Amino acid sequence: MNANRFDLGGGEPIITLRGIAKSYWREALEIPVLQGIDLEIPVGSFVALMGPSGSGKTTLLNLVAGIDRPTCGTLEVCGHELNDLDDDELAAWRNAHVGFIFQNYNLVPVLTAFENVELPLLLTSLGRRARRERVAEVLALVNLTDKQWNYPRQLSGGQEQRVAIARAIVTDPDILVADEPTGALDAKNAEEVLGLMGRLNADMGKTIVMVTHDPKAAHHARHQIHLEKGVLDRAVEVNR
Amino acid sequence: MRWLALVWKSLLRSRRRTLLIVGSLVLSVFTVAVLQSLLTTLDSITSNPNSGNRLAVRHKSGITQMLPRSYETFLRQQPEVETVCSLQWFGGYYQDPRNFFANFASDETTIFQTFREEFGLANLTEAQVKEYLRDGAGCIVGESLALKNGWKVGDVVPLTGTIFPINPRLTIRLIFKSSRPSDENVLHFHYKVLEEGVPRMKGLTGAFWVRVHRPEDIPRLIERVDRHFANSAYETLTETESAFNLAFVKMLGNISTIIQGITIAVVLAILIVTANTMGTAIRERGAEIAVFRAMGFSASRVLSLLLAEGVLLVGLGAALGLLLAQAAAGGVRSAMGAVMPFFADFEITSVTALLCLAGALAVGLLSTFIPAYAATRRPITEGLRSVG
Repeated sequence: MNANRFDLGGGEPIITLRGIAKSYWREALEIPVLQGIDLEIPVGSFVALMGPSGSGKTTLLNLVAGIDRPTCGTLEVCGHELNDLDDDELAAWRNAHVGFIFQNYNLVPVLTAFENVELPLLLTSLGRRARRERVAEVLALVNLTDKQWNYPRQLSGGQEQRVAIARAIVTDPDILVADEPTGALDAKNAEEVLGLMGRLNADMGKTIVMVTHDPKAAHHARHQIHLEKGVLDRAVEVNR
Repeated sequence: MRWLALVWKSLLRSRRRTLLIVGSLVLSVFTVAVLQSLLTTLDSITSNPNSGNRLAVRHKSGITQMLPRSYETFLRQQPEVETVCSLQWFGGYYQDPRNFFANFASDETTIFQTFREEFGLANLTEAQVKEYLRDGAGCIVGESLALKNGWKVGDVVPLTGTIFPINPRLTIRLIFKSSRPSDENVLHFHYKVLEEGVPRMKGLTGAFWVRVHRPEDIPRLIERVDRHFANSAYETLTETESAFNLAFVKMLGNISTIIQGITIAVVLAILIVTANTMGTAIRERGAEIAVFRAMGFSASRVLSLLLAEGVLLVGLGAALGLLLAQAAAGGVRSAMGAVMPFFADFEITSVTALLCLAGALAVGLLSTFIPAYAATRRPITEGLRSVG
């Protein structure tokens, strides 16, 4: 097996990376972050990207999510060659196919939980009533119907992250990308959020790619991919 | 939630900051609107559409010097002249020195013809005019002035002189309605009241108002009149009514330049303040903008939302500023209109309001565009790193 190619089990790949490299430039100095990444992630996977700081895991996540572009290589996600999309097409693609879960939740403080969840739907063709029904549905899914008119400052960290998850899934995306989703939560809330993500993967078939430092969090994934200095180091199937 | 609600809620993110910037916009737009309206009002003095065929003949040395009324004979003999009216500023007040308004001793026989547009002569009956001509102690007043003081025809108006040592008691014989409020804040009485009450004014007048048949005759007539009285004891300065009024405005200094200077300073100051505020507000939202874009909002859509915030902010400030200016205009009309009749026309015109609104919107767009454009062009990953 190629050192940078791992088999995450059968199934049609939803994410395919070929020869992906990413470098940043500090004036004339090139700083390579990812090098020669080949990776296929099948539909319905729950993958934890792990590795020490600076290993390139967040950069890899950003590439998969279409919020950054590789220096070289090809990247096919949800049937789209992302390099071929211009910025506006890429934005529309993200809205349709990717849901984001951030460490710090990143809810809009001046909007209620309901309005935060409704945000991505403003870009869709759904009418007002359909949007409201959809938002109510996902808020019920994350068990926050009773908090829907609360502002983020009126919610606990765990509740905020659940609102963020509701926002991530409200457009029914194929992929959820999560960057340290439990990094700001206590153990109990972290467990609750990870359990919710697990259900989204198992019950709704969402493909999840999660960056984490936390082995306990990574244990909720079905596969762990370890990066080391910008290259894929090893892939581990999680035994539960 | 609708787009406007999203913009509005974003605007209220920092209520204190929004309130302060709206407050500064209100004051700025108010200042600019009032100053520009003042300029428009002053301009209207010199651009009275009715003054195109009238001339003012006064003493070359200044408006406080008198001319012999006998000059009227020569003026009347000129073929271009339709009528001549002696006019002297009386400067009296009614009951209280603060209750001041324009009042003149004028030649009752020619005043109506000379200023027929201002008096609305077409709407006056012959009987009304005759009633005034019949009563030597009679006077005519504009409707605005009559309404303000609660006067009606037949009332006696005692005037206290401030320039001349007489206090005439005048009976209102006619109340006229004019097309411009400023023309209604005036009182005229018979010239002979002044001549008989003030011996030194016998045979003298402050100015002649000359109405010509055709405006194109004016340059020729001006030259001829001043040449005729040149090197006499009472040399004349003849000028169009607009030029005469302009001389009054010029007594206030180069007010146009001052007003335009202040307007530019206010606009620049508010541009800098708004740009700084919007710049800070947008920079603070770097992570939020990145999250919006990650969710699928295109850079141009985020830019539009930010610009809409800026425009809504200044639009709100401008609208409130204009409302305040509109309210203040009423105060200016009533407070200043009596002292300086042209202020009775003071108003925030729709042109001024639109200019202020357009200017404010331009400030909003300009001050928001640069920081908003920069923020939406920033890589999403960089924006996300700025999270707390």
